[in-house]
Amino acid sequence: MEVKIAIKRSNAQTNGKAISQAYSIEMDGNRTLLDGLIRIREEQDPTLAFRGSCGTGFCGDCTMTVNGKGAVACRTKLGKALKKADDGIIEVGPLKLAKVAKDLMYDAENFHWQKFKAVEPWVDPVAPPAKGENVVANDEVQDLRAVMSCTQCGLCDQGCTVLVVDKTFLGPAALTKAYRAVFDSRDSRTAERLQKLSMRRGMWDCTHCFEASEHCPKRIEPTDRIFALHDKAIKAEAGPPKVVHHYKSFAASVKAHGWLDEARLAVETEGFTNVRGLMKLLPFAVKAGIKGKHPLPYMLHKKRPGAEHIKRIFEKWEDNGK
Amino acid sequence: MKYAFYPGCVSKGGCPELYPAVLKVADKLGLELVEMEDAGCTGAGILSREVSDPINARTFAKAEAMGLPIMTICSTCQGVMTQANHRLKDDEYRQMINREYLSEEGLEYKGTTDVRHMLWAIVEDYGLDKLRDLVVRPLNGLPVAQFYGCYLKRPPELMVPKEFAKTRKTALEDVIEALGGVAVKSSGRGKCCGFPILTSNEENSLSMCGDHTLDAKAKGAVAMVTPCPLCHLELDGKQADAAAHKGQEINIPVFHLPQLVGLAMGFSPKEMNLQRHLVSTKPIEQRLGVEVKA
Amino acid sequence: MPQHDVIVIGGGFAGLRAALEARASSADVAVLSKVHPMRSHSSGAHSGVNAALKSGDSWQDHAKDTIEAGAYLCDQKAVEVLCKNASEDVVALERMGVIFNRDSDGRIDVMPFAGSSHPRTCYAGDSAGHVILQVLYEQVLRSQIPTYDEWFVSSILVEDGMCKGVVARELKTGQNHAFYAKAVILATGGLGRVYSPSTCSLTGTADGPALAYRAGAPLVDMEMVQYHPTTLSDRGILITEAARGEGGRLVNKDGDRFMAASDAGAMEMAARDVCSRAVHAEIQEGRGENGNVYLDLRHLDKGRISDRLRETLWLLEDLEDLDPSKDLIPVRPAMHRPIGGVRVDTFGATGLPGLYAAGECASTGAHGANRLGGNSLLDCVVFGRRAGEAAARHSRGATWHPPQESLAIAETAGFNEIASRAPGKDTPGIIRRELGSLMNRKVGILRDEAGLKDAASVLRNLKERHSRLGLRDKDAAYNTDIISAAELGNMLDVAEIIIAAALARRESRGCHYRTDFPQRDDVKWLRRSVATRSTRGPIINSAPVVVTQWNPAERNPAR
Ligand SMILES: Cc1cc2nc3c(=O)[nH]c(=O)nc-3n(C[C@H](O)[C@H](O)[C@H](O)COP(=O)(O)OP(=O)(O)OC[C@H]3O[C@@H](n4cnc5c(N)ncnc54)[C@H](O)[C@@H]3O)c2cc1C
Ligand code: SF4
Repeated sequence: MEVKIAIKRSNAQTNGKAISQAYSIEMDGNRTLLDGLIRIREEQDPTLAFRGSCGTGFCGDCTMTVNGKGAVACRTKLGKALKKADDGIIEVGPLKLAKVAKDLMYDAENFHWQKFKAVEPWVDPVAPPAKGENVVANDEVQDLRAVMSCTQCGLCDQGCTVLVVDKTFLGPAALTKAYRAVFDSRDSRTAERLQKLSMRRGMWDCTHCFEASEHCPKRIEPTDRIFALHDKAIKAEAGPPKVVHHYKSFAASVKAHGWLDEARLAVETEGFTNVRGLMKLLPFAVKAGIKGKHPLPYMLHKKRPGAEHIKRIFEKWEDNGK
Repeated sequence: MKYAFYPGCVSKGGCPELYPAVLKVADKLGLELVEMEDAGCTGAGILSREVSDPINARTFAKAEAMGLPIMTICSTCQGVMTQANHRLKDDEYRQMINREYLSEEGLEYKGTTDVRHMLWAIVEDYGLDKLRDLVVRPLNGLPVAQFYGCYLKRPPELMVPKEFAKTRKTALEDVIEALGGVAVKSSGRGKCCGFPILTSNEENSLSMCGDHTLDAKAKGAVAMVTPCPLCHLELDGKQADAAAHKGQEINIPVFHLPQLVGLAMGFSPKEMNLQRHLVSTKPIEQRLGVEVKA
Repeated sequence: MPQHDVIVIGGGFAGLRAALEARASSADVAVLSKVHPMRSHSSGAHSGVNAALKSGDSWQDHAKDTIEAGAYLCDQKAVEVLCKNASEDVVALERMGVIFNRDSDGRIDVMPFAGSSHPRTCYAGDSAGHVILQVLYEQVLRSQIPTYDEWFVSSILVEDGMCKGVVARELKTGQNHAFYAKAVILATGGLGRVYSPSTCSLTGTADGPALAYRAGAPLVDMEMVQYHPTTLSDRGILITEAARGEGGRLVNKDGDRFMAASDAGAMEMAARDVCSRAVHAEIQEGRGENGNVYLDLRHLDKGRISDRLRETLWLLEDLEDLDPSKDLIPVRPAMHRPIGGVRVDTFGATGLPGLYAAGECASTGAHGANRLGGNSLLDCVVFGRRAGEAAARHSRGATWHPPQESLAIAETAGFNEIASRAPGKDTPGIIRRELGSLMNRKVGILRDEAGLKDAASVLRNLKERHSRLGLRDKDAAYNTDIISAAELGNMLDVAEIIIAAALARRESRGCHYRTDFPQRDDVKWLRRSVATRSTRGPIINSAPVVVTQWNPAERNPAR
């Protein structure tokens, strides 16, 4: 079938500006976009720059934007892409949030690898056996392998809402990589890692909006991995004080009353002794108070009926954790 | 139509204007709400699932015993509950939770409870045609930007499964149009509002709030509507701070879903508690020709 | 001018393993790679790595299987090194952080693999390659080894009979730089792009063998090119041998398990060359469908394969909309990997002082005429480690003798020469496609004299066209045109050697099957072929096979 592809190009000829260039190839719709791009480069236009290596979806090199959405080119069938395309032309461009290097190539060093390195993703072994392999349960291995199937394709990062406003955020891909080191029982630095990952730009900057999970082609569920990091950090009291307070106070409120006491949460998050933090809350509280958009002060907070049952659930959970 | 009504914490806490508005609108629509007074917090993605799953299972078990589906009025409650409910479909997991956490109270969750957001209830159970019939104060082409909140859209296979794709993909847009407004597609409509990181990174949170509200304005909207009170806390409550952070005036009123519906159905702004918003809704009220009492 | 004791070219298994060992031996080592190390071809390996870890198995059994699979062309000393070190090197990978699947005791689990007498392949789901590469890269970061990512090495600097560094182009800027080193380790991987289709990644363009050959180091066993029996339809995408290890069956269009005719004992678990030829014959004789036979996994336990073949299942879903629990998988053989390469001893030394090689671009002779599945990865880690160690040792003993500056300038000028030529109708890609199809047709699973001679003459024409190629891309940054042209030059040189070596070997053995000489001939051909460069093209000589304790015998086709 005839496949029309419009490629967003930026290179020396275009003075770095993005222009769209249309190509047409004759190819089976069952073939992949990467096959199509190779054909274009080989037969029509050797100046077209794009990345690609393994061609089977393992190496993560050929990530790009296809019809406005992030995609791995070697796992994108031309026929399917064509169906989703407007006007019968497949629109292809570089990954969106990264800086363009040339045509479909982006600045991978800053987009992936700096952050990958920043989480110190290697295992620092906790006293390994003198000889032979570490003994590890297969369940743990399977969980870690799911995370390690991450190809650093960057699609979760491209979907991330926070990276849009803050490029320095570690992002779901690097945090998913960090999960591996934190949850690998062979590693000895769990507490320190949780501390480091709790620094600004780290795990607490994630809004857990599930964009990452939605965009991951490997079904690694990066958002769930970040949740798991949060849980572990809270248990270890590793987060920034304000966040730990916030989480603990949330839990304490639900435990005590069955539901959330927002006034108490706001105050406790800032910390009772944190006068400056409390002052900061004031303008909002005053304004909201006048308007009536303000929760009841926590002294007046009513217990829900059933609260004692919820408390029991908490207690059992806490016991289980011990 | 009868529901076990789960109001959540925020509709009575941070957004106290929401709860009474829901009751009034539901009443007018003829949705019978039996409030679940003794249900616990969903965990809101903050509590570990290890403890929030049992709490939610308890809520589901109670609704199951009532023989009613649950209705929520918060995207976050809905999202967390749908996900928990999905995990609880696994027999082994559910039985463990029943055994370890619920049996003491004499409860058992069998896995059959349906959890539905009010938005879905309006679109899917009530019907847009019937809704249209109730409109006495049409929005008259008012451009309104829909803002779903991330939890009502994701993960898509749970929140917008194939069998509901038709109704849920554009539920808010459809409601706006049924009320006589024009739905404005802002780029943030399915994104996170920024609320969850208000404590950990206020700067980013405000940037997100600013981007979403400014983009809605830039696309021509004069108001926004959201089915999520947490989004409301951010988009309305933090809008002034976001404006300062961005160095740009914003001032776009943000409605809770039932407030917009209620307004079109003829409720007064007072009845919908619009005076409680931080960003004034007056310009919209005037535009709709609502009598503004002193 | 960057300068390091040891420079490793290639960021795959072999390169990274070598670099780690050189670093552990306190050398200042750096890795250069034309793609980011994590994008290397190694990431695509599925199944696993062989080591006789379990009781009942032994390194001797492993060695015997390797030698039988290699049709007795193996250098048995190299085999001994490979198999004796296997357990320790695989355990070392685990200790670095590789998450191999575990048995019920929490120890590394093994699975059965075609051609192996015992279950011996250590695996990580079906993404062993991706996991191992990641862990090696993690360790490279941990050891603070500098990596030059997206740098293309275009030549080796040789002066006074010594290797003194390389010339490389930074793809991002288009700048050529000389790198001085006391030792250089080639770990450039495969040459699959010489064939089309092939299971090889886009990076497999024979760079290492071509660079070494031009530098004066001989290549061995180049006629031995392995076809993998089960690749997906016409895509050149490999369906892991683990699918057969788990009990997958090969059936023809009538649903018959045709492997019974080739080897009723081993059936689908017959060695790769045997299996590939059987599949090829089945298709040729009209019992296939659309050029494929089928891999049948429908009878396998769904839960079990959903873990063990997790990646494969997605691949089939994404690309073919297939569900192997319900559908048959269309497969056919495709070129997989070379068995030969740059001739090295078991420490990676090429004979040219300072030049080492390891991994898929090199050949110690351990694999003879056909490589056992799961031995490639092992080869990379065992011989990669040893090459790293040897190169570090060499660099400690050597003093700096930087080459004349003019040498690097001349090499760079040679590389850039193409930029001065006017572009014509041809592109590197057009020529590569013709090359790939030619090699697949005439120098593939079955060969004969007429076909090979044909191939040789067509190849001369392709080389001539290559020499006239001009550049269309004038950009400095990421100029893939100039890189493709250079890679094509490497592939054409190596293809010429493959053809010459295939013509020379007038017998059939392992991967090399001559329809005009269908028998194995130990009297004349129990010898390895050695290719060296001359002004008139490659010269093919031969060298004896090293035999230690396994006397050449009739081959058990299951091995
Ligand atoms: C689909 C598939 C499945 C496989 N499964 C298995 C298996 O289950 N078990 C097994 O044992 N083996 C398997 N193999 C074989 C195994 O993967 C390879 O033999 C092995 O990965 C080769 O590793 P390498 O380090 O030699 O080369 P590669 O991983 O190919 O790395 C080569 C490196 O060299 C760099 N490079 C190349 N040329 C240049 C240049 N000119 N300048 C700079 N850098 C350069 C590249 O960038 C790359 O980093 C499989 C192969 C394939 C294709
Ligand atoms: S987590 Fe998923 S989406 Fe993110 S980089 Fe890894 S594979 Fe890609």
